Amino acid sequence: MKYIALLPLAGFLLNGLLGNRLGNRFVSVVGCGLPLAAFAVALAYFFNLQATGAPTIEVAYTWFVAGTDVLEVSFYFDRLTAVMALIVTGVGSLIHIYSIGYMHADKSYARYFAYLNLFLFFMLLLVLGRSLLVLFVGWEGVGLASYLLIGFWFEDPEKAAAGKKAFITNRIGDAGFLLGMFLLYTALGTLDMDRINAAFMANPAPAVSASLVGILLFIGACGKSAQIPLHVWLPDAMAGPTPVSALIHAATMVTAGVYLVARLSGIYMHAPEASAVVATVGCATAFFAATIAVVQTDIKKVLAYSTVSQLGFMFLALGVGAYGAAIFHLYTHAFFKACLFLGAGSVIHALSGEQDIRKMGGLAKKIPVTFWTFAIATAAIAGIPPLAGFFSKDEILWFALASGKGGSALLFAVAALTALLTAFYMFRLLWLTFLGRSRMSAEVEHHVHESPLSMTGVLVILAGLSTVGGFLSIPHVLEPLLPLPPVAEGMQPFHYAVVGASIAIAAAGLAGAAWFFGNGAVRAERVRQAFPVLNRVLMGKYYVDELYESAIHRPLLWISERVFLGLGDRRLFDGALHGLAALGRGTAAALGRVQTGSLHLYAFLVLAGLAFALYLGLRHV
Amino acid sequence: MDSLQLLGWSAVAIFALGLLGVIIRRNVLVMLMCMELMLNAVNLSLVVFAQRGNPAEASVLVFLVFVVAAAEIAIAIPIVLLLVRHKRSLDLGAYADLRG
Amino acid sequence: MIDFLLLYAFLGSALVGAVLMLVLRHPMRVALALVATMLSLAGVYAMLGAHAIAVFQILIYVGAVMVFMVYVIMLLDVRDDSLVARYSWLLLPGAVAFLAILGGLGVAVWRGLAPFVAGKPFGLKPFAVAFLNDYWLHFELVSVLLVAAVVAALAVLQLGRKASRG
Repeated sequence: MKYIALLPLAGFLLNGLLGNRLGNRFVSVVGCGLPLAAFAVALAYFFNLQATGAPTIEVAYTWFVAGTDVLEVSFYFDRLTAVMALIVTGVGSLIHIYSIGYMHADKSYARYFAYLNLFLFFMLLLVLGRSLLVLFVGWEGVGLASYLLIGFWFEDPEKAAAGKKAFITNRIGDAGFLLGMFLLYTALGTLDMDRINAAFMANPAPAVSASLVGILLFIGACGKSAQIPLHVWLPDAMAGPTPVSALIHAATMVTAGVYLVARLSGIYMHAPEASAVVATVGCATAFFAATIAVVQTDIKKVLAYSTVSQLGFMFLALGVGAYGAAIFHLYTHAFFKACLFLGAGSVIHALSGEQDIRKMGGLAKKIPVTFWTFAIATAAIAGIPPLAGFFSKDEILWFALASGKGGSALLFAVAALTALLTAFYMFRLLWLTFLGRSRMSAEVEHHVHESPLSMTGVLVILAGLSTVGGFLSIPHVLEPLLPLPPVAEGMQPFHYAVVGASIAIAAAGLAGAAWFFGNGAVRAERVRQAFPVLNRVLMGKYYVDELYESAIHRPLLWISERVFLGLGDRRLFDGALHGLAALGRGTAAALGRVQTGSLHLYAFLVLAGLAFALYLGLRHV
Repeated sequence: MDSLQLLGWSAVAIFALGLLGVIIRRNVLVMLMCMELMLNAVNLSLVVFAQRGNPAEASVLVFLVFVVAAAEIAIAIPIVLLLVRHKRSLDLGAYADLRG
Repeated sequence: MIDFLLLYAFLGSALVGAVLMLVLRHPMRVALALVATMLSLAGVYAMLGAHAIAVFQILIYVGAVMVFMVYVIMLLDVRDDSLVARYSWLLLPGAVAFLAILGGLGVAVWRGLAPFVAGKPFGLKPFAVAFLNDYWLHFELVSVLLVAAVVAALAVLQLGRKASRG
């Protein structure tokens, strides 16, 4: 099993060390071939799992032994791992292939593929790990890879700053994660996740508060999966190359938080308070991000906020106990979001770098493949049946309302509203980018061209998966491992009503977008003029970044400069040293006054000393 | 009072007088002579103690002190001569160059 | 009886000479006072039975050291401030310390001495025998010290000559 992870690592090493010398073709073959090989191995393990039915455990090596505690690097393959590993390697390989076309003109081609393979290695460690420690290594590693890839064009200070922001925000979440791990280890003596789950399911429950652990681990998940209040890094992360955004910030890395909570479902099932927190935060984030996405003008930023919003949906599902539904949405989201991001990349490529949707339009006829795949993915995310997104979103909406473990009408209402907004802004994006009259500059319009096969081929595959992926009912596949929550009393009859409602919402979003943004977006402009304050708040992203800047950055900087540097370092430490030196100098100067050069004085001092010594000696005689 | 005690006490007195002389007289040559006085006082005390115990040992020590005094004066005088040549003065106040 | 008188006479004379040394103004007179002290001390040694020592006192101290001193005083006939202002600024503190020492050492001596028993005189012959038999190392060291002193004196004079020439 370790080869699933080690193959991309080999890719990283080969591309990183030799790539520059051996040329782009070598890099492409190694960079895409090894992830595909990893996918094949994962598939083999999947079939093996189907055959035997029992999870596979493989110990790679013993990391360290501390007294009686042994910590090993071991891998665990069960149904949940199968879903995650196949998504990571499958969608990952597709994105690698897409990158061949997208990045072919870049001067750091080898470095790009090396980092991408490194990312895959760490992500696979994360999903395959049996113990929380291995997962954490993968967790930190994907954070590192994300930083490297977001700041890929590091010569631009803004892009480098975005990479830094991602890493630091992740780190803050990791503090919570670590505390949770410490609590678990102290209480249970093990960090193996299957054993942790078993311990919490057994009677009597362990002595540690499951809710506390749940919340701490969720803080870590917030950092990684960009939930409020640690969501600020994801929109800035769009500074990286578009395939990176697709891979890391749509399909795989940001889902690590969802995977963590789902994997440790044993804890969350016994932690109603923590689950309530998860559900509330997820729901709030979903709504919050959706409102911001409505006014964004950068094509990638819209998709970024959309990702934050969809992740909120996943956490909402986790919070109400529908772990299987959350993983289902993760799986479908990987397809259509990757397709959307890669499509956006194709648009940017076609328009020679333009990302502002106010300067697009009328592209449907010019880049048809991109248009149709983008449209299919948009329909999927909006929830139009029978595309994949409809099934997964419907499950989530149903359980938000009807789950016996925290479902409520309020959650359903906000989630439904968010779904409406999702459909609305996604179709807005589609309209403004592809349809209507062209608002491009003449020069850009002249160069518009369809992307090469490596890019469009991947788009077609992903669009296809977005279409049919929903028919594989992941919740049922995962049922033995992650049971669905019981339906609350009296809610069962509403199931079909909810299904109908979600179809209606999708249609309403489509219609609304067409009405507002068709015909040159005149009506949208009028609405915007009518609500200037709301418009400003949304465009300013609710001013969260500014809040952090003034509440955290500036006080910290002030403390560092005034207190630690000025007071602590300069006055205390330097002052102490200078003070000691001054003391030495002063003492030396004072004592030096004895040396007058007068022999009389010296002789007198001898005499005085002698008299004193005699006195001391004869005192007791 | 016993004569040995008196003698011992006078040795102390002469020594203290010599030391006092070094402190209070300003002429360099006079200071040298006071140092000689101190050595003499030491000799006196040695002889006094020789009466009690081992005369041979004390005598040898006294002889050594004589030799040391002679050697010392043999070198001190030329040094004084050089100093006087530099400073043109026998006053100790003029020799305070090593101050600070 | 007469022995004691002579002994105390010589002792008193030594003390008077020492005090005079501190009081007299001219260096030559100070030198003469020192000579008187040394002669008196020689007398004391003789009265105490250390005849060899008494002889050496006169020979070495008076005969060599003080003669040298007198020559130098005659040569360096410098008339400067020290002739007028004899005493340094430490007169008073010095006197105080002097009295302290006197008191302290005197007390020590007072309590530490056993009664006087007149011993037999220690002449030159026993001294020589002891010196060259039991204390021959000290004898050798003495000769080394004298050689060192001669060399040092020569070196100092060389320095002086170079300094005056340059």
